[in-house]
Amino acid sequence: MNIDFSTALPYIPILIKAAGFTILLTLTSQFFGTVLGFFLALGRTSRPGWLRGAVWFYVWVFRGTPMLLHLFFIYYAAPSFGLTLDAIPAAIIAMSLSSCAYNCEIIRSGLQAVHHGQVEAARAVGMSYPRIIRRIVLPQAVRIVIPPYMSNFITHTKNSSLASVVTVPEIMLTAQTIANSTYRVIEILTLAGLLYLFLTSCLTWLQLWMERRTTYERRGLTARRRRQLGLEAA
Amino acid sequence: MAPPMIGVENLAKSFGAVRALDGVSLSVAPGEVVCVIGPSGSGKSTLLRCINFLEEPTEGVVRVGGRRVGFVETGAQVRRMGGRELAGLRADIGMVFQLFYLWPHLTALENVMLGLTEVRGLSTRAAADRAKTLMHKVGLADKMAAFPEHLSGGQRQRVAIARALAMEPKVMLFDEPTSALDPELVGEVLQVMEQVARDGMTMMVATHEMGFARRVADRVIFMDHGRIVESGPPDEIFDRPREERTQRFLDKILS
Ligand SMILES: Nc1ncnc2c1ncn2[C@@H]1O[C@H](COP(=O)(O)OP(=O)(O)OP(=O)(O)O)[C@@H](O)[C@H]1O
Ligand SMILES: [Mg+2]
Repeated sequence: MNIDFSTALPYIPILIKAAGFTILLTLTSQFFGTVLGFFLALGRTSRPGWLRGAVWFYVWVFRGTPMLLHLFFIYYAAPSFGLTLDAIPAAIIAMSLSSCAYNCEIIRSGLQAVHHGQVEAARAVGMSYPRIIRRIVLPQAVRIVIPPYMSNFITHTKNSSLASVVTVPEIMLTAQTIANSTYRVIEILTLAGLLYLFLTSCLTWLQLWMERRTTYERRGLTARRRRQLGLEAA
Repeated sequence: MAPPMIGVENLAKSFGAVRALDGVSLSVAPGEVVCVIGPSGSGKSTLLRCINFLEEPTEGVVRVGGRRVGFVETGAQVRRMGGRELAGLRADIGMVFQLFYLWPHLTALENVMLGLTEVRGLSTRAAADRAKTLMHKVGLADKMAAFPEHLSGGQRQRVAIARALAMEPKVMLFDEPTSALDPELVGEVLQVMEQVARDGMTMMVATHEMGFARRVADRVIFMDHGRIVESGPPDEIFDRPREERTQRFLDKILS
């Protein structure tokens, strides 16, 4: 077996462009998946039974079936319902639907970890539901949710490789194509692996940064906040 | 006679088959301090929670400051309050919980401020100034920048009292405010409550602190099985109870 990166190196720019598609798919679908997942989580923790049930059903379906199937469904089966989508929008929709189901559950675990008594205390001072969510529940939930949320984000990044089956030229599809034409399978796959590792390392770093930012108790108030409150420096 | 600050008529609350309140009527005059005593499960918490509609009564009418709690009456029509109306009403009713329920992600001062900025619409600076006054009042001037996890139970409860007082409520409800505290921390909280009472606040206090009830209460209400068994001035209830059930309860708790 001979390893020779010299034939593979010229393909790096193409692989980086492919990584651009991977990033596009992952970030947009994670964004939609987070926003929708947040509202689903609110629905899942709300009073009306039909709403809780509807969200439960959604999560049951989309977490219980493979994302590969969602991708196929939206790209290949949707046209028979009169809906024809390009590969990238189709992949983003399928990936968002899936991301949203997982994020709903992750965010719900954070919302529910905030003790109900704190919500009651906020109601007792006359805060409205949206304000309670914004000022009491979310700030605490975010911190609780960071580790599972980022874990899922990383998994989601790697799962974007499934979009190759609907012809999105992301890292895996591109790597496969190059490998097939150059026969430099090991080298090309190594490069693809390094690219994924780079992307997921960014997320790991982001997680560290977020965790550090949310440990306010140990660091106390910022100087700016102290000035706002008119407190002398500690 | 002045109209009552709190009026409760025929209040009942069921949790499934459990009748937590079973026809309670009472009225509390402005500035009056009423202590509610009774065995565990007698409905003290439920009564207080119905007064600010944290619990929705099954039957009966509650009024605070003349305003019907939880419902809007226009002529003969009665409709349920919306979220905003309820929130506005609750802002005028302070509540202190057994387990404090401070918001752990905010400092003591910010805990006291939040209702002012979010509900009363004060600027950060104005809210901070009012909150500081209250932190002084409850004797925690040196703890304003502390997070709840770094405060003792007694200090937490005093912050919780300051948080409720900051809203300048018409009435204050205390649900066993010292029951979760170590005995040596009870005094500092009761002292603050006594000060609040002296300032003329209308108060309802569910408590097992008989000494406090005797000293501070204008009236003591003894509850059992969701009903008011008897009520009267503290020395009457404690020294010459008319009901045997009251006597038995007092014997048990004072022994
Ligand atoms: N949310 C609830 N769901 C079901 N039952 C409840 C609920 N809240 C109270 N109860 C029941 O209602 C009755 C009255 O309870 P409540 O908490 O008002 O009593 P209490 O006098 O405050 O007792 P304690 O001294 O233990 O605080 C009890 O039997 C209790 O089990
Ligand atoms: Mg109770």
